[in-house]
Amino acid sequence: MSENTTTTPQTQTAQTDADPSPTTTTGETVEQTRDEWTDYEFRGEAKMAVEDLDVHYGDDHALKGVSMEIPEESVTALIGPSGCGKSTYLRCLNRMNDRVSSARIDGSVKLDGREIYQDGVNLVELRKRVGMVFQSPNPFPKTIRENIAYGPKKHGDLDTGLLARLLNRSDADERDDLVERCLRDAALWDEVSDRLDDNALGLSGGQQQRLCIARCLSVDPEVILMDEPASALDPIATAKIEDLIDDLSEEYTVVIVTHNMQQAARISDQTAVFLTGGELVEYGDTDQVFENPHSERVEDYITGKFG
Amino acid sequence: MAGAGRTDTRLVESETTETDAVAGVAVGLSAVLFALAVAALFERVSLTGSLFGVPTVTLLGGLLTALGVAVIAFGVGSRFGYVETNPDPSAGLIAGFGAAVPWVLIGGSVASQTLGLGVGVGAVAGVATGAVAFAASVLPREDLGSTVPLGALLGVTGLVFLTGVIGPTWVWELGWAQQAAVTAEFLIPVSTLFSALYGGWASAKAYGGFGARGRHMGAYVLVYVNALSIVAFLFILVAFVVVQGIPGLLNGTEFGFGTGPTTSVFGVSVALPVSVPFLMNGVALFNDFQGVLPAIVGTVWLVVGAVVLAVPLGVGAALFLTEYADRGRFTQVVEVATNGLWSTPSIVFGLFGFAFLIPRFGNGKSLLSGMITLGFMLLPLVVITSREAMLSVPDEYRDASAALGVSKWQTIRSVVLPAALPGVVTGVILGVGRIAGETAPILLTMAGGTFVPGSQTADVIGGFQFTSAPPFVANPELLQATSALPYQLYALITAGVGASSNVGNADEFRWATALVLLVVVLSFYAIGIATRYYFRRRLKHT
Repeated sequence: MSENTTTTPQTQTAQTDADPSPTTTTGETVEQTRDEWTDYEFRGEAKMAVEDLDVHYGDDHALKGVSMEIPEESVTALIGPSGCGKSTYLRCLNRMNDRVSSARIDGSVKLDGREIYQDGVNLVELRKRVGMVFQSPNPFPKTIRENIAYGPKKHGDLDTGLLARLLNRSDADERDDLVERCLRDAALWDEVSDRLDDNALGLSGGQQQRLCIARCLSVDPEVILMDEPASALDPIATAKIEDLIDDLSEEYTVVIVTHNMQQAARISDQTAVFLTGGELVEYGDTDQVFENPHSERVEDYITGKFG
Repeated sequence: MAGAGRTDTRLVESETTETDAVAGVAVGLSAVLFALAVAALFERVSLTGSLFGVPTVTLLGGLLTALGVAVIAFGVGSRFGYVETNPDPSAGLIAGFGAAVPWVLIGGSVASQTLGLGVGVGAVAGVATGAVAFAASVLPREDLGSTVPLGALLGVTGLVFLTGVIGPTWVWELGWAQQAAVTAEFLIPVSTLFSALYGGWASAKAYGGFGARGRHMGAYVLVYVNALSIVAFLFILVAFVVVQGIPGLLNGTEFGFGTGPTTSVFGVSVALPVSVPFLMNGVALFNDFQGVLPAIVGTVWLVVGAVVLAVPLGVGAALFLTEYADRGRFTQVVEVATNGLWSTPSIVFGLFGFAFLIPRFGNGKSLLSGMITLGFMLLPLVVITSREAMLSVPDEYRDASAALGVSKWQTIRSVVLPAALPGVVTGVILGVGRIAGETAPILLTMAGGTFVPGSQTADVIGGFQFTSAPPFVANPELLQATSALPYQLYALITAGVGASSNVGNADEFRWATALVLLVVVLSFYAIGIATRYYFRRRLKHT
């Protein structure tokens, strides 16, 4: 993870004590992360609560003792340089890292107060409630309609199969309603309503990404995780996605990883800054983080001196 | 020769555009020579005869000489600045070796054979000639280097043909124990073919004005000729079999109602309005015309049986290896084993079937044993190609599906498999092409006899019998020995002269069998390609 910075194991966010400051290979002093910088007080309920989250990929310590609470129905931006662990963090929130065989995850992540890293957690239910949108648009090579209806169908909520049609139990109307609702929510309906049975791969990149968001909405999640959803898109498509995220935050809890600091400043309610080495350095109100950060390193990063 | 001389003067005096046209004509001339050489090689053009009123060999020689002179003229013209070109300092090592190889052969043969100086002197002379050609290619500027040695090669070859040093009846006895000889029928087309390639390459370079663009043109011509000749060879092969096979196939064919045999489709008897005895009869003493129906039906059932056996097993194994098994020692071992199985000689599979399957299925050769043996042969290719196809399904699809909370098996079934299907089908197509033509395993596991009577036609569907006692279903047809087309062909060829007393004109019968085999295999291909097209379409254009 850290190409140019070696941090000793003691530099964990949760335990700032009187350890001598470890130095980078270049001899620079790395300031200690302080608890109060990440201790973000917000009004309302915490949708997700992460405590002392450590992630190793093999020998690589990707995330070091991260603790943060994510408030309900808001947009939380995760920013930081490449390889700082923010995507890893995001993928821990719906246990997508379980799919990486070399990953080892310690710590606690709670959704509505219920631990998701324990035996007996229903991953299907978890991922239905915590949906994810990926960096590059990845619609299935199916029709637009099938892309949206895929999740609910596989969960048995919609049955439009041959047998259901023969028994006159087909949910085709419910499916079409769902498709329209999700596409409207993802601000795509007007553009594709006349070609729902075309292959989704024929859409433009921005449309594909909004289709992926619509697909994510189809299983009615509570939290939506977005991993740099606009990084592969042009400015116009990016603006549409940003508007969409703004709308979504009225109903959903959105956590978004982004490289684009202007974007984070524009759309997020609170911002978490990860810096090289997999530490959460600062977490707080977006305005405060961008205008008046506690940490010097964060200030350097935001003003472009480091990263 | 006069024509070539005129080319020369015109080239020297002309503008660039005309030069281009002449160089283009030279490239075209090479193509014509290439085609003539191929035609002569396949005896579609007689070397002893004449074309357009000129003896063939003389015509070839004249054209080669003209091409050679033109090529040299290009180079010289360019060197002395009469033609605007953009040559590199040297033609390069590859061009040097390319020019050296034919000159080694020419120098060696002339010294050792024509002049009779013996092998040792011949070898030295060959190497010396080659070295001169190499130096002549590499040392001068590119325009001379890539034209003069090759143009001289073309000129020498052409003059040898023109002057009749090597005529249509020329033979070179090699004096080996096997009584091998190089005949004019082989040497003239082959040397014309290679000379035409060299000439085409050199004149294409000239056409491009040498330099980078010239090299591009040269490579373009070579690649194009290569692709064309592959298509041409395929076409010639198919056409050859068709031409030879048609008479035997249509032997005794009749049209009209009631002429054909009666067959039943879903219980309804239908008399076919056409009778093609070769396709509709077996071999029997009282048949007017003999046929290979049992072998056709046997081949079709073999392939169907093998596919039904191998595809589910193979796709399942590939699924396990790509989606479930951790990548490690075990999957590597399985991978090596499947690759090894695919390259295992078919006779080994046949022997396995003979020793293992036959004693377990009624102790006699049977259709079922053949199906299983060929199924085993098909299995590794299905595993390999399915695995490749599944690995090439982007992980993004799996991630997207997992993020929606869809279980692994459902993801595989509704996302991975559909995306991998075209690749799987490609593998099955390739495999079917191989097993449908296999002779050895069939010989050992299911072949009944050389001349199979119509009564041995396997009626697999009609053969199912249902009983009230276990095992509830039986199919004696599957346990009967029958024939398949490749084996039938092999048996007919090895049956020797006696075959004619059984099947009439044995030669016609063999070619017709070969044609039917070809058509059956190509039909399987067509079905496979149509299936693949269907699945691809569903992925891309729905």
